[in-house]
Amino acid sequence: MMLARIVRIAAVVAILGLVVTLALAFRRDPHDIRTGTIGKPAPAFALDRLDGSGKVALADLSGKVVVMNFFASWCLPCTQENPVLVRVYERYRASDVVMVGVNYQESRDNGLAYVQRMGMGWTTVADDDGRVAFSYGVFGPPETFFIGTDGIIAGRHIGPIDEETLVTAIEKLRGQAASR
Amino acid sequence: MNGRVVMAIGLVALAAALLFAARPREVTADERIDQITTELRCPVCQGLSVKDSTSETARQMRDIVAQGVREGKSNAEIEAEFRAAYGDWIFLSPPVSSWGGLVWLVPVAVLGAGVLFVSGRLRRVEAPEPVGPSAPQVAALRERVAREEAAEG
Repeated sequence: MMLARIVRIAAVVAILGLVVTLALAFRRDPHDIRTGTIGKPAPAFALDRLDGSGKVALADLSGKVVVMNFFASWCLPCTQENPVLVRVYERYRASDVVMVGVNYQESRDNGLAYVQRMGMGWTTVADDDGRVAFSYGVFGPPETFFIGTDGIIAGRHIGPIDEETLVTAIEKLRGQAASR
Repeated sequence: MNGRVVMAIGLVALAAALLFAARPREVTADERIDQITTELRCPVCQGLSVKDSTSETARQMRDIVAQGVREGKSNAEIEAEFRAAYGDWIFLSPPVSSWGGLVWLVPVAVLGAGVLFVSGRLRRVEAPEPVGPSAPQVAALRERVAREEAAEG
């Protein structure tokens, strides 16, 4: 009798747990998947610039808000989000915000041609073997990571990003930097 | 006597064969790469391992695993690099030691609870509580029997 009651209560608790888990899962924004790298120090890298003018290392960008955008010319959503990136770059180019475009799964020639064609004035680098993308937990382009002045990955956006999301994330990090 | 000798030789040969088969064998680099990439999920595929996928992403991951093996890293070290970036999701089978291990434990727990519940119900069906007449009923019955006996004379 007692055992049956315990089992019945356990079944109710299990069903409630399932319902709560599903409810929380459906509430999450699929563009804001929290994988292992969020809230942790951004993995270091030193990658060649696409135009061949030397290397860019994350360590060189220390103390700045860094927006890392993984892109490729074969990626249609990257083309769709590019005007937003161009506008936001122009808005912050004279500030403490650095944009870094990481060319993903593509030859450097194709990547560079795309950068020139799309008017991407910000720093662009080549991740030839995908190692940097994997260290950030990238699923596929476009993906955008926001790194604070403390070098911690504060957020990520999977898929094409809109201007409001981009500016909000940047301003939040700038605000945090100012209050330190 | 001869039969015993033959049997003893046969048993020794069998034991030797078993020992030979069970001896620790050095795993080759290719086998280690296969082991690791079989466990890793291809991030751009639907339920495919890195080993089975033909995507460019899986190819790059295989290269990184192969490089790690060449550099002398252990399987755990190589897997930890991917876990650090993607979490336990990157493994096709969730590790038992993490929260993902609930995937393995919950069905077992539910099955155990089900077995207990069903066996409890069956026990109750098989052995129903003895239902006897109450004391007043017994007294009434005795009185009735006595009356009938008296009437029969």
